Amino acid sequence: MRIKIRAFASFREILGKEMMVEIESGSNVSDLINHLCEIKPDLRRALYSDTGELRDYFIIMLNRRRLNMPEDLGAALSDNDEVAIFPPVAGG
Amino acid sequence: MISDSEIDLEEILGRSINPDYGAVVAFIGVVRADPGVLGMEVEAYDEAALEELKRIKEEAIARFGLSFVDVVHRKGRLLLGEVIVAVVCASSHRKEAFQACEYVIDELKRRVPMWKKELTEEGGRWVKGDA
Repeated sequence: MRIKIRAFASFREILGKEMMVEIESGSNVSDLINHLCEIKPDLRRALYSDTGELRDYFIIMLNRRRLNMPEDLGAALSDNDEVAIFPPVAGG
Repeated sequence: MISDSEIDLEEILGRSINPDYGAVVAFIGVVRADPGVLGMEVEAYDEAALEELKRIKEEAIARFGLSFVDVVHRKGRLLLGEVIVAVVCASSHRKEAFQACEYVIDELKRRVPMWKKELTEEGGRWVKGDA
């Protein structure tokens, strides 16, 4: 299935603004993150600490709904979903 | 709304002045000339940011009984002294207008997917949001 990835701010500088990725049907958010880390090794350094723990300094939205991390790592993905990844917001 | 051109404060304030509203309170955020900062770059997840702004405005109307609320946020490249964000709230009385204006800007900073990068001679640095 195809997933649209959108990245913003520091994550855009790693992933680019927008891309389509092809992942196996039945994949979840965690599978997608692993896939992206394989394509873009810098993403792994941004998402994980030196000891391999998931940092809390990032936000993922699935079809413009914010996911809770790490609880929603198992959230199922569907064809044509839009997944956005970005650091904590800092507008205003 | 999110705008990539200069925010027209006169236009927003003009719309908020109305004999039905007794009090108008505005918050205007400006690019500050901190040491080494030459300007600001603002990025937005437009669709999600607009949805969240709409929700915040609806919440403010429901909580504070506002008669008028408008929010305009700049994106793109801004110079020192340019307006980043304008929040204008109008109500029958000042207390609700002040409270609503503070609520809207606080929630915007906490929830709306937008980011600021301070531009310096060395390049730029992203302003840290709260994790």
